[in-house]
Amino acid sequence: MLSGISKLIKPELFMIKKFDASLGVLFAVFALGFIGPLLYQVQPTAVAGPLEAPPSRQFPLGTDAYGKDVLAQLIAGVRGSLQIGATAAAISLLIGVIVGLIAGYKGKLVDNLLMMLTDIVLLLPSILLMILIAAYFKWRDPLLVSIIIGVTSWPWVARAVRSQTLSLKNREFVNLSKMAGLSDFQIVIRDILPNIASYIFMAYVLLMSGAMIAETGLSMIGLGTTQGLTLGNILFWAQVLEAVRRGLWWWFIPPGATLVALAASLLMLATALDEYFNPKLRGS
Amino acid sequence: MATISPFIIYILRKIVFIVATFFIFLLIIFALPRAIPGNPVAALLTQIFQQAQANPDTVKAVYRKFLEEFGLTKPLHEQLFDFLSRLMMGDLGTSIAFYPRKVAELVASYLPWTLGLLIPAILVAWALGNLLGAWAAYRRRTKVDNALLPVFLVLSQVPYYWLAMILLYVLAVTARVFPVAGAYPPSMSPSLTPAFVLAMLHHYTLPFLSIVIVAIGGWAIGMRVLVIYELRSDYVEYSELLGLSDKRILGYVFRNSILPQVTGLALSMGTVMGGALITELVFSYPGTGYLLFRALSTLDYPLIQGTFIILVSTLLAANLIVDILYAYIDPRIRVSYVGE
Amino acid sequence: MPEPLLLGLDLRASYRLRLGEVKAVDGVDIEIPRDSIVGLAGESGCGKSTLINVLLANIRPPLVLKSGRILLDGLEILGISREEVRKKVWGVKVSIVPQSALNALNPTKRIIELVKDAIRQHTPASDQEIISLCKRRFEELNLPFDSVYKYPHELSGGMRQRVIIAISTLLNPRLLVVDEPTSALDVSTQKQVLKMMVDMKKEGIIDSILFVTHELPVLRQVASHIYIMYAGKIVEYGPADSVFFRPLHPYTKALMYSVMTPEPESRARGLVTIPGEPPSLLMPPQGCRFHPRCPYVMDVCKKSEPRLVPLSDERGVACFLHHGESVN
Ligand SMILES: Nc1ncnc2c1ncn2[C@@H]1O[C@H](COP(=O)(O)OP(=O)(O)O)[C@@H](O)[C@H]1O
Ligand code: SF4
Ligand SMILES: [Mg+2]
Repeated sequence: MLSGISKLIKPELFMIKKFDASLGVLFAVFALGFIGPLLYQVQPTAVAGPLEAPPSRQFPLGTDAYGKDVLAQLIAGVRGSLQIGATAAAISLLIGVIVGLIAGYKGKLVDNLLMMLTDIVLLLPSILLMILIAAYFKWRDPLLVSIIIGVTSWPWVARAVRSQTLSLKNREFVNLSKMAGLSDFQIVIRDILPNIASYIFMAYVLLMSGAMIAETGLSMIGLGTTQGLTLGNILFWAQVLEAVRRGLWWWFIPPGATLVALAASLLMLATALDEYFNPKLRGS
Repeated sequence: MATISPFIIYILRKIVFIVATFFIFLLIIFALPRAIPGNPVAALLTQIFQQAQANPDTVKAVYRKFLEEFGLTKPLHEQLFDFLSRLMMGDLGTSIAFYPRKVAELVASYLPWTLGLLIPAILVAWALGNLLGAWAAYRRRTKVDNALLPVFLVLSQVPYYWLAMILLYVLAVTARVFPVAGAYPPSMSPSLTPAFVLAMLHHYTLPFLSIVIVAIGGWAIGMRVLVIYELRSDYVEYSELLGLSDKRILGYVFRNSILPQVTGLALSMGTVMGGALITELVFSYPGTGYLLFRALSTLDYPLIQGTFIILVSTLLAANLIVDILYAYIDPRIRVSYVGE
Repeated sequence: MPEPLLLGLDLRASYRLRLGEVKAVDGVDIEIPRDSIVGLAGESGCGKSTLINVLLANIRPPLVLKSGRILLDGLEILGISREEVRKKVWGVKVSIVPQSALNALNPTKRIIELVKDAIRQHTPASDQEIISLCKRRFEELNLPFDSVYKYPHELSGGMRQRVIIAISTLLNPRLLVVDEPTSALDVSTQKQVLKMMVDMKKEGIIDSILFVTHELPVLRQVASHIYIMYAGKIVEYGPADSVFFRPLHPYTKALMYSVMTPEPESRARGLVTIPGEPPSLLMPPQGCRFHPRCPYVMDVCKKSEPRLVPLSDERGVACFLHHGESVN
């Protein structure tokens, strides 16, 4: 599938302004998370200086109520959020694609049942389901949080994959494969999946931005990961320790702004890819 | 031959589906504490029991009540039966953290604040977002659209509660234009006097704005795409060639584009609710979000479950109302289909 | 000679795309006499619908007008504002029955609402007046009047088509332009629709019809004059019988031949099958645009383009084989 995607990406893609802009922002945020620790070697969990110090040369983003360095936390938090976002999105994608493929390809009763399930999960708001499930776990490592987000966020992917599969399954090349005696599984892998690769890639990008926002929401209500830092975690402590009412803007603005930048550029990336893969959507 | 109108069939199907969804949701609520490894409920019992040294009598009463309501010693199907039949009677159990208050009564006292915040905010954002999105679509490939679209895109990705923090910081903490917490001044008690209503609106502004501003983004993006598609449809071209004015045609287009947005309203309410619950925390607004946070931090499972049951029933009811409204305003559903 | 109802001169219009210019109408002269049914035929994609839009002065990006003049019933309609065209031309002087008639009605309005909106743009009329106008017209045309109180989805495809024809002509426009009206309909509905339009002309509701199609047998039944279009250009025109029985341009001949072939199926469906592909309008072939498919191609055809030369008062052809010839 990866080779399918790389074949689809041509230099014209870089002519879409939205694509370049979002790629730029994404690159900057990734650099913050992954190159940052090499350049800025301050422990995010250690007491680094005075309490509640505003940004200064020594502490570029100040310190929090316990004197921990906010920039160091931000660097670790970006990495944590990206990790949860990427894992959760992969889980949703896997469920959504499998459900959508089976429903679309098998049709009839299987389709009806799976779509009923999908619609039910779609109707129950995912953030509420996440809170409900997370509430029963005392310890939540990043993987568990990813799973909780992943298993509640897949329905729209399933719906979209199903409708694309439906439109593909009666095409000539699928009929040829059927006549050649290929099994359903082989047909799905060889004929259907490559044709929805570009869509799957876009869905992943959108799921990832959704998952990072969901992680922050879970954290804010006290149900984020209990292990390691994320952007949501930073915001949670800022909220619990009254950063806003005490005027410590450097504590809650940077993590939120980073999250918005990440999520918005992922959304913009998906929009640009959509325009690129479906030229009909463009302007005219 | 008499046939049942498609309108009725549509609504009946929606009702069946929503009731089924609610039932499945109840099963999830029931199964979760019992299925999760490490048995969270047992852990809670141990915790309560440990506190028994401090305040033996109350804690023992809590313990007994809790054991009785969860009925963990009975066979599973009996537990489920008890759970459902108590629900039918409107009994959501007893809170642990607020012992001996009943969950239903607790949630009922917090719910109005949430709904009072949520319903106007959702409707206002929906209306404004659709208008702005339609405007951007109408002026597409002009400066207006080029300026509005990125704003919508970014807004749609801002968490409500983060915007809430910023508004609170800028307008309440720094500029001191609005109060920093609560739904009304602690010195007042709720009444219908003008002074109280005014104070309440003063407290209401920031939470309301933080939900409205963010939600506008998503609606506007959706509406913009819908209108752009609609403008290219065949009936627009034909109506124009009949001599209809732009104004008339835009009226048609707006009306037809807003129909899918009505369905969208039903689907999005849950997400907005989730965000609004957390926004309440930022403002210490005494709604269900605040209650839920208390319940979560004390592991008050009966209260957590009860809050969710009420919230989800509210949502599903709202969904049903929106779906019926939709069927009513879309003639393709309301008026029977004759076909070829 | 009486002044024609419509006269279009040197019409050129292109779709401006990123890839380049699609010259969909490339130097067309056309004349629609009063009291006539003019047929316009050509393969799919040759520019018929685009030419119609130009003739209606309905030109909007990506379509741009490069040159041309149109006189419609004494009025220059290119070069006046769209607003003015909308008021003075559409619905009153010329009306269209669009190619996509099935989706041409607003799905969420009762038909009568559309009719009211349309008529009020042109004349101040009360609901009552509009309804009685509608009623009279529907009765004249043998259409069930109650269909105006329905939504489009409640009507069958054929009924939608006929209702559109009726409401397009409520204000008695002089010219009715019909874009492939029959392609989506079954044979008997096709006949009804054709008969309805011919009757409307007889009754004087309209003066003339411009009938666009890629189905020649249909044209043969009704048209008095025929224009043949190929790759954005008119390659031949003349009185219908004359063009049908004495086609001159090799493309017209191929069209006629493909219709005459005794293959019942392709004849019934009016399928035009000519060997070779229609040319791309983005990069049309040098010289005569038909030369890659022409059995009579000569050296000159590959280098220069044959002009559309009048051979008599009524006929003209754009082919080097017939330059210098005259026909009567
Ligand atoms: N909106 C458009 N944008 C770009 N190209 C178009 C558009 N509409 C039509 N074309 C192109 O112009 C040419 C003529 O199209 P059209 O007038 O619809 O032909 P016809 O009606 O004879 O089938 C075709 O090559 C078509 O691809
Ligand atoms: S000009 Fe030449 S190529 Fe063109 S139609 Fe005539 S003979 Fe054929
Ligand atoms: Mg056409």
